[in-house]
Amino acid sequence: MHSIQRQLTFSLAMLLIVMGLLLAQAGLWIVDRGLRQHMQDNLQSQAESLLSALVKGTEGIELNSRHHDAVFLKPFSGHYFIIEFNQQRWRSRSLWDFELPSVEHLGFSEQLKPGPEQQQLLMYQGAYRRYTTDIKVTVAHDYSPVLASFKQAQIIGAGLGLLALLLTLLLQRQLVRRALKPLEQTRVQIEQLQQGQRSLLEQDTPLELQPLVRQVNRLLVHTEETLQRSRKGLGNLGHALKTPLAVLMSLLQREELQRQPELSAILQEQLEFIEQRITRELTRARLSGEALPGAFFDCAEELPGLFQLINRVHGEVLTLDWHAAAGLRLPWERDDMLEMLGNLLDNACKWADSRVELSIEQRGAAYCVCIDDDGPGIAESQREQVQRRGSRLDEQSVGHGLGLGIVRDIVETLQGTLQLLDSPLGGLRVEICLRPCSA
Amino acid sequence: MRLLLVEDNVALADELSAGLQKLGYAVDWLTDGRDAAYQGAVEPYDLIILDLGLPGLSGLEVLAQWRAAAISTPVLILTARSSWSERIDGLKAGADDYLTKPFHQEELYLRVQALLRRSHGFSNQSDLSAAGLRLDEARQMVHSQGQAIELTGAEFRLLRYFMLHQGQVLSKSHLAEHLYDGETERDSNVLEVHVNHLRRKLGRAVIETRRGQGYRFTGAGVPQ
Repeated sequence: MHSIQRQLTFSLAMLLIVMGLLLAQAGLWIVDRGLRQHMQDNLQSQAESLLSALVKGTEGIELNSRHHDAVFLKPFSGHYFIIEFNQQRWRSRSLWDFELPSVEHLGFSEQLKPGPEQQQLLMYQGAYRRYTTDIKVTVAHDYSPVLASFKQAQIIGAGLGLLALLLTLLLQRQLVRRALKPLEQTRVQIEQLQQGQRSLLEQDTPLELQPLVRQVNRLLVHTEETLQRSRKGLGNLGHALKTPLAVLMSLLQREELQRQPELSAILQEQLEFIEQRITRELTRARLSGEALPGAFFDCAEELPGLFQLINRVHGEVLTLDWHAAAGLRLPWERDDMLEMLGNLLDNACKWADSRVELSIEQRGAAYCVCIDDDGPGIAESQREQVQRRGSRLDEQSVGHGLGLGIVRDIVETLQGTLQLLDSPLGGLRVEICLRPCSA
Repeated sequence: MRLLLVEDNVALADELSAGLQKLGYAVDWLTDGRDAAYQGAVEPYDLIILDLGLPGLSGLEVLAQWRAAAISTPVLILTARSSWSERIDGLKAGADDYLTKPFHQEELYLRVQALLRRSHGFSNQSDLSAAGLRLDEARQMVHSQGQAIELTGAEFRLLRYFMLHQGQVLSKSHLAEHLYDGETERDSNVLEVHVNHLRRKLGRAVIETRRGQGYRFTGAGVPQ
């Protein structure tokens, strides 16, 4: 995934490497040039001092050995000369058995020439005239120690550069992390939002993040308002549809209609069908699903009220129990959860003989709801039919009817799973596992 | 038993009023939330059937006003709002029962009966029994020592009220307030006649007269 931190690190590293290499190379080149210039000056003066060491002796021109350096005597010392005049060719002793490579022209040769023992030679050839003789002096100087020290400098420089690069990157990482800290805080808050631990983002953020945070908060409030509005609208619609249904259903009790049992049976059946359809569709439309990230369901706060209601609906003959870890909060909207649990419990109570148990627990990232009853249960062969997508539970005589259909709608909206199992209490266990969308 | 029915759908209210009156309840009917809030607080109702979607003032607000004014009359909410969260909110607002539309009339009548019994301390009883008498509310008859005794509508209403308030001294005006709806002319002589009829059928000592105070259902004289 795209990360600001990684991108910054990468581009800074590339920049540093390219700049470092360029600078180091340029530095070396300048030093190399300066050194060569210096040595060339040296070579030239050496050639001239050799020339001045030529004296006119008894047998013609001689080289006054007192006048030239001892470095020319030591073999392969790195300092060499050749003096040529009148078919004579004098070589410095330091050349030993090595033949200096030939030079193409007078003055400095641009390239380094191979010398003895892997030496690299800077060469200078000068042509002079002394004692009415043309004298050609060639001097050479070993440049390889300088090259070796350049190589060493390069290695040391590369090491130092690498170290500096690492340090810079580490420092940059810290800086970026500090600069991005508000972003990280906002990220954590959004995570909390999705887990239902908060309902709005903190407004106290740097200037750059303010518009984002404000927009997210506005969106949250807007979503909540829209949901409330649409629920209110649906409630009104339900009211408008169900009250006339109630009138029709009570008209069925009239004597005139009771005298026509066939007619009233058909009417009753059709009215009930309409009612179930309306209930199911309105319930589905009321679901918020994942629309409200800040919503949550506090088990300890909501379950007692729900159980009180269930107790009242089913008379107080059943033993109802619930288990949930203290402080357990489900990251879904309250109405959705109440609708799901209410229908499940209502259903279980219809079939239970004496007890119904609800347990809610967190399993890893998922939340699992189990509802057990000690009723007749559903035969294994029928379970598949009940669970099949699109099967019309409300029209089947399986028993666990409309309520379970609505529950399945809710579970599908929340993208969870619903399983029918054998209960340890002897009846049916409905197990629902839901995963928060952030996980 | 005098009930207040708050329902803005005229057709439904007509059906329910007729059905409830047939069962021997005196029914007052209101359609507006504001009227209901006032009248429910002033008149001595035994039970209130309350719709939530009312003009004027919503049912939940009406209920909250009554409960805030410490009016503890049992309230049955009758509404099309069927979601579980709305039901819970209704109970939290102080409702005693919650029935969603559409419903079978029988269901409503049973809930009303059960709520009235529960509010008078007769919980978990399928029949109303007091002092050796067993009242069959569906057939409007009373059983005493395994013997079924027919009752007229007025006698049934009176006996039911007495049985729910066993041992309490009930003045004539109190009885009149609870047995007749707001529009019926209250004639205390008629009450005396009905009390005498009951005494003739069940035994003289069943209802004792407290001079200047009223009547008291003792159940005495009925063999236990």
